[in-house]
Amino acid sequence: MSDDDETRAQLQRGLRIATLLMAVLTVDVLGLINLLRHLDSHDVPAAQVGAFVALTAVLATEAVLVVRRRPWGLLRRPAIAVVLAASALSYLTLPDGRTSTTVDWLFGAAGWVGVAVLLDRPFRTSMAFLVTHELLALANLLLFHEVSRGTLARFATGSVTVFGLPLCVAVVAAVLGRIAAEASRATRELERVSTAEAVAVAAHRRRTQRFTELAGTTVPLLAGLADGSLAPSDPAVQRSCAIEAARMRRLFAETDTVENPLLHELRHCVDVADRKGLEVELDARGQWPVPPVAVRRDLTDAALTALATAGSWARVTVVGSTDLVSVSVVADCDELTVPTPATPDVRVETFGSDGTVWMEAQWQPS
Amino acid sequence: MAAELITAVIVDDHAAIAAGVRYWCEQADPPIGLIDAGDRLAEVWTGPGAEADVVIFDLELVPRKPDFGELRRLVDSGRRVVVYSQHADNATAIKCIDLGALAYLTKREGPEHLVPAIRAAAEGRAYTAPSLSGALLADDTPDRPRLSPRETEVLRAWFASSSKELVAAKLHITVKTVDTHVARVRVKYANVGRAARTKSELVTRAIDDGVITLAELNEASL
Repeated sequence: MSDDDETRAQLQRGLRIATLLMAVLTVDVLGLINLLRHLDSHDVPAAQVGAFVALTAVLATEAVLVVRRRPWGLLRRPAIAVVLAASALSYLTLPDGRTSTTVDWLFGAAGWVGVAVLLDRPFRTSMAFLVTHELLALANLLLFHEVSRGTLARFATGSVTVFGLPLCVAVVAAVLGRIAAEASRATRELERVSTAEAVAVAAHRRRTQRFTELAGTTVPLLAGLADGSLAPSDPAVQRSCAIEAARMRRLFAETDTVENPLLHELRHCVDVADRKGLEVELDARGQWPVPPVAVRRDLTDAALTALATAGSWARVTVVGSTDLVSVSVVADCDELTVPTPATPDVRVETFGSDGTVWMEAQWQPS
Repeated sequence: MAAELITAVIVDDHAAIAAGVRYWCEQADPPIGLIDAGDRLAEVWTGPGAEADVVIFDLELVPRKPDFGELRRLVDSGRRVVVYSQHADNATAIKCIDLGALAYLTKREGPEHLVPAIRAAAEGRAYTAPSLSGALLADDTPDRPRLSPRETEVLRAWFASSSKELVAAKLHITVKTVDTHVARVRVKYANVGRAARTKSELVTRAIDDGVITLAELNEASL
């Protein structure tokens, strides 16, 4: 988890605990005091106690969830239903003309319970709950109680705190969620930019590396051709060009992501020879571990040199097993000088008879 | 010795292949008589095709559906079959050999392999082309016969160079010894897997000629 996510989680948890405490305070302290003080003025005290028990049960569940750091999940809808049902029960059994007074203990408490349950939901959900609760209370007042200027004024002033305070908490929760979402979006963007930069740096390093690898052999050849010291008509120069062309192709192929890099790079070498007009066949048998780049270069360097020297045809074969990889080129070459392998595990042998040369490069994984 | 003219029948739906093979057979010395059955398998079983010494069989008359069943019927009725396939994969090649084909060649392999393969098959002998050699080399099925290091080395060299002279010169042996090593591999393969008349003939002849002993064969198939 990133720092931002952690900060966000801590903030939300703090708000959740504060809201729970507010709800407990209004229901189980203020609400209980008012309920007990006016218990005998209620027509059906059992209904009020039942509503009180229901709200307390919801808050107790929320307390358990807070401790276990769990969201409400599937229990959320039933919990809200319990809160609304308790409100309805309490309002319907209120003695006549006592709405929005201290006898109406639940009026100020239910909103907090609902907001505590809905804190991590979108703002509109909390809003919808508060409005529903408010309408429930209003409907009760209009339908079952004597409506007078006094009761309406009491309802209106009560509503300021009953509706307004939980609403403030819901607004804070929504703002906090939005800020957190924006922060994590900004973090993601920052990560994307730094990744792109790292990729660009790596690509540049790879290009520089490739250039230095070519500088030793390709650049002098190109320079010689440019200043006229090497004649393009010279067969030796032509052969060098063919070798360098194949090396460049192999270099480009080295970074490709393929299942069998050795075969992939050999195919590129064969392709260069094929374009030169050589009749080439490539056949590979067996399965082998992927050789490191340096080993692959030794194996393919021998092959591409033989291919560049070949007159008209060549047969390229790869035979591999877990303990030996062998690359062979049989071709009609007059003479063949293969480069000495750079890695100790690669052995190159050439062998010729009657204008046919057989070059074999073997690698034994150590 | 005025040997009788070898005849072969080719089953291949590609007219160009049949025409090419006919040309190679005519140019061979001594020439080989070729009957072109086209893609009609019936002509291998009736008429002049039924009398031919060798069947040159295109494994895929129907694309991507190698007809192993027909190959088995041909072998079971005693025909000597050279499979000529565009497939180069190891499993197909080894399966054809297991069914009793005397040779398996890919269509990249030209007259320098097809003509000796037809001649060998006409005599009931096996011919191992470089592609089949590569397939045997890479064979990692659990019931494959055990090959000696030298046999593996010869197979690898034959696959890589496609020239027995080069193999002989590189390994400092004679061409005949190269042939013997390759023949021993084929006899070991003929001795395992599905039973077929062509295969048991190969084994019997190899033992008679002293190419391999019974003890060596038993050891290889353990």
